[in-house]
Formats: sequence, C-alpha cells, structure tokens
Amino acid sequence: MTPGLELFLQQLLNGLTIGMVYALIALGYTMVYGVLQLINFAHGEIFMVGGYLALTAAGLAASLFAGAPFFVVLLFIFLVSMAGAALLGAAIERSAYRPLRGSPKLTVLISSIGMSFVLQNAVMLIYGSREKSMPEVLPPWTFDLGGVTLTLVQIIIFVTGLSLMAFLNFFVKHTAVGKAMRATAENPEAASLVGISVTRVIRTTFVLGSALAAVGGSLFAMNYGSLNFHDGYLAGLKAFTAAVFGGIGSIPGAMLGGILLGVFEGFSAGYISSSWKDVFAFGLLVLLLLFRPSGILGENVREKV
Amino acid sequence: MARRLPLALLLLLWAGTAAAGDDVSIGLAAPLTGDQAYIGIGMLQGATLALEDSNIKGPVFGDSKLKLLPMDDQHNPTQAVLVANKLISDSSVLGVVGHFNSSCTKAASAIYHEGRLTQVTPASTNPEISKQGFDTFHRICATDDVQGPAAAVFVKEELGLSRVVVLDDQTTYGRGLAGQFEKKFKELGGEVLRHDGITQGEKDFMPLLTKTKSVDPQLVFFGGIYPEMALLLKQSKKIGLNVQWMGGDGIFEVTLAQLAGAQVAEGVYSTMLGVDPHAVPKAKDFVTRYEARYGEIGSFSAYGYDAAGVLIEAIRRAGKNDREAVLAEMKKMKDYPGILGPINFDANGDAIGKSVGIYRMESGKFKFLKEVKPASE
Repeated sequence: MTPGLELFLQQLLNGLTIGMVYALIALGYTMVYGVLQLINFAHGEIFMVGGYLALTAAGLAASLFAGAPFFVVLLFIFLVSMAGAALLGAAIERSAYRPLRGSPKLTVLISSIGMSFVLQNAVMLIYGSREKSMPEVLPPWTFDLGGVTLTLVQIIIFVTGLSLMAFLNFFVKHTAVGKAMRATAENPEAASLVGISVTRVIRTTFVLGSALAAVGGSLFAMNYGSLNFHDGYLAGLKAFTAAVFGGIGSIPGAMLGGILLGVFEGFSAGYISSSWKDVFAFGLLVLLLLFRPSGILGENVREKV
Repeated sequence: MARRLPLALLLLLWAGTAAAGDDVSIGLAAPLTGDQAYIGIGMLQGATLALEDSNIKGPVFGDSKLKLLPMDDQHNPTQAVLVANKLISDSSVLGVVGHFNSSCTKAASAIYHEGRLTQVTPASTNPEISKQGFDTFHRICATDDVQGPAAAVFVKEELGLSRVVVLDDQTTYGRGLAGQFEKKFKELGGEVLRHDGITQGEKDFMPLLTKTKSVDPQLVFFGGIYPEMALLLKQSKKIGLNVQWMGGDGIFEVTLAQLAGAQVAEGVYSTMLGVDPHAVPKAKDFVTRYEARYGEIGSFSAYGYDAAGVLIEAIRRAGKNDREAVLAEMKKMKDYPGILGPINFDANGDAIGKSVGIYRMESGKFKFLKEVKPASE
C-alpha cells in the first residue's frame, strides 16, 4: 500500500471508531424523540454515568475474577454498566419527565437540562473532580494490517456496536414491544386506544436508550482510558448532532448519522486542521439542515397541530 | 428615586469606612468546580494554611481578623469577570489571590485595576497579562516567555533534536507557551514540521496523531494541561507514534502518570516554574503539614500559600482598611521570604529571578533534571 492510502485507511478507521460510539448514544436521542418528541439533554450524562459504572465494574472485576479471560470481564462490565444506566434512565423518566407529561414541550426540555446538571454534579461529588483513569481490562493487542494499526478495543467497538444495532433493528421491527414503540411514535392516542400502555412503552424506550448509551460509555472509557464528569456534554452534543444529521426519530438514521459524523470529523482533523474539526462538523450540520431539514434518512413529517 | 441613589451610596461608603474594627478579607479566585477544580482547590488549601499562619500571629491590624473568600471562576473568563466584580464591590476585600488560568486572570485583571484591588496570581504564566499596564497586577510565577524558550533550548541543544511538531490546546496559556517555544526553536535553527491545535475537553486525538506520525517528527511539544497530555501519550502509543514528548507546567502533575500509565508516560519532559516543593528544604514543614491535612500536595498549592502570604504581609504593613495603602506596600515589597524562594516584583508586577526547572518523568514521578535561569533582558 502507498503511504497515502495507508494514512487514508487509518484515518477512516479512527473516524469509524468514534463514529460507532456517537451512533450508540444517538440511538437514545432518536428513540426518545420518536415517542415523546423530547430532546433528552440528560442523555449525554447517562452515557457518562455508563462510563463511570464501567470504571467501577472494572475495579470490582479485578478482585472478583482475577485471572479470568478478558471477555468474561468485558461481559461483566457491560452488564453492570447497562443495568445501572437502564435503572437510572427509568428513574429519570419517572421523576423528571412523567410528572410533566401534558405540559408544554419546553417545560420538559428544561427539566432534562436540569437533570443533566444534577447528574454531572452528582458524579463529581461521588467520583471527584479529577480525571479518573480506567483500569486496563483488555490485553494490549494490536493488529497490523499492511500498515494500518487496529487495536483490540477498536475491534470490540465494531463488533459490539454493529451487533447491538442489528439487535435493535430486529427488536423494533419484529417484537411486540418494538411494534408498540413504533405505534406510540406514530400516534400516542391511537396507540393507547388499541390497548398499548404508552407509559410502559416510554419506560422501555428510556431503558433501552440508556443501556445503549452505557455500552457506548463503557467502550469510550476503554478506548480512551480516562473519564471526566464533563465527558457527557461534548459527546452528547455530538451524538445529538448525529441524530439530527441522520434524521431525528429515525433509528437507521441515528446509526448512519453517528458513523458519518465520526468519519467526517476524523477526516477534517486528519487532513485539514484538528482545531477546526468541530467547526466543520457543525458547519456540515447547518448546511444539511438548510437543504434537507429532515436529515439524511428522516421523513418529511407534517407539523402536528 | 433616582436622585436619592447617590445619597444611599454615600451612606453605604460611610458605613464601610466607619467600621474600623470589622473583619477584612482576601479573595481566592480559581476554578473550584469543573474539570480543573483539583488545581483550584489545591491553591485554596495552600492559601488557607497561609491564612491560619497569619491568624496565629494575631489580627492584621487593630482587631480586624482576616478572612478568605473562595470564589469559583469555573476556568471561564466570563465567570472570572463576574467574580472580580463581586470582589471589588465588597469593601471588606483588600486583595485577591488568583486566578489560575491565564485567560481568566487577563479578563479579571482589568476589573481589579478599576477597583484598585491588589491581585497576586500564583500560576498564570501568559506574558501578555503584565503588559496591559495595570499596576494592581502581580505574579509570583515565571512567564511563558521564560518557559517556552527554556524548553526550546533544552530540546535543541541538550537533546540535540531538530525536527518537532508543536501542539497547543488553543487557550491563552497553551497557545502562548507553544508559540514561544516555536519562535525560539526556529531561531536556534530547528524545524517545526506542523503546529496544530486541539480542543480542551476533547478525547479523540487519533486523527491528529495519525497525521503527526506521517510527518515523522523526533519530538512533540504540547502547550496544554495534563488530561489532554495523558490522552495524547496513550493514543500515540496505540497508533505506533514513537517520539519524545515535552510540555510546560500544565502537564506537571502526578496525575499524568496515573492517567497515561507510568510506562507510557516514562521519559516525558516538562518545564516547571520554579521547583518541586518536595525538593525545597525550606518548604519541608509546609509540605508535611499540607499532606497531613489534605493528602498529596498539588503543583500549585505551595504557590497558593506564597501568593496569599505575600498579600497578607502587604495588608499587615498597610495597617488599615485601604486598598491604595495595600497596593503601595505591595509595590515596596522586597525579598519576601516565600517558602519557594524570595519574592520580588519588577515594575510590571512580574516576579524577578524565577527560574525554570527541567524535569523528566521516571517511574511515574517527575524527576528534577536541571535548573534554567532566565536570560537577563
């Protein structure tokens, strides 16, 4: 391979890695928007809490399963982080959003912003304000594919990310709960008329979205090795961008949007300037919204009156 | 109503001056929450100890007790200006220790100047701040125009390297430091292959480092703070960028090795303003006392102690609740016995004779290599 092509492939890989994480978070934004038309600003924080739970689980695993193969530890980390985040997501929905159902959309939005501050500061008080380092749980394997370096974490990110997305697609399309979710997204009143418990569907949506964000957070912590209680802010903002980019409310759109945003960012940083990469990423969003307001895969929905 | 306002203000002023026996205070402005809270809290703890030492000696004048007002600037210049306005409008405040970030110090210094409040920063190293002509501004640390060139000379002449990449975090501090390094390095005949910026709080530097690897430098100089440095080090190992690294006092943190891993951080060079408090015999008592109370000492805790110490001394000498008198005493200050060495200010309020130390990371700790005295101007 020529050095130019090697560089291109390495940059593509870098972009795909972070893009996959964005996609996992973006799914939660888009699903919640689908059923509630709410931009859940606390979602970035759930991702961050997921990362911190992974960090705690990794610490626990070191004493619980000393000497066990890495995938056992990995599974344990994912389970702890997903379960914790899912509970948290459900609790937030119950305490901050459900009492406001029926209030103006703006009220719920502000409640979600408040929730995001609560979570950030709670994590700061619990874990401290210093950057926390994630214990190494994976063997430091790297694979050299003709000049392109691939790490084990990256492989895990791709495998986990793609299989979760496949699962989610199946879940939404072919299970009863998934169908109920789509029905609620289409028309909550009609859905409740045919016997769907909208409250339960909303809870399920939060649980699923939070669990996916927690996987994103765990992978993020493992890939970058350190965590800060601020991390949810920027990652959440980017994932939100990705969700809008792909078409808010659309599940395949969130996946595509996340991956594209990551790749676009990677190329901007790698070929143009890393100081301008956010400008390019958000500039692209503005352009897209000007010419295709519903996002790449979003459908043109008529404004409900 | 509007006509009665000046009268009310006069009454307030009168009340302020009349209360001679009232307590006076100094502000401590630093990031006390947010991702740099750790540094600000270290400064606050240092200043708290200085205040306790002063209170043992008795009231600063009359029967006025001195209090410390911690103010959180959230390492945000807008917030720093709010904090500064709050401090100048409180008539019990006679001086301020702060801020940490150069961007905050710069923005707030104009307000302190307006309010005639003596300011001592323990840590803001950007050289531009003292060139604004504010007589209220003082600093007890060296500036980046000492630190950056010292690092450039070290890399070019001691390490014998001539091809570098410069990165900075696009803050007043990081860009200033990196710019000074680049300027001197080019003067010495070195080659700067690229100069790129990163965003503070960002985590993914793989694309940038991949690009850096493609120009094949011998060393990367980073103007920024340790959390990003740790990520840069870790991620460069992942993509096989095997170069030497150097940074300024912003990366001089024990946490760097914990975050990056001692092995990854091994061999990283850093300049630090002045010296490691652990290596100063005079600071030994302070370090012991500090660590007994608060745990491991941060890089700026001793600076917080000294900055508060010199300010309190000026208040003592002024002997009254008068900001101009405190400022006049600060201007006259000579050889104040700080625990990190004597403190003297030049006409701009910059510290005189502050040396730069060169350190190298060895098994998770920065080890002192050599001292570089700033070139006389």
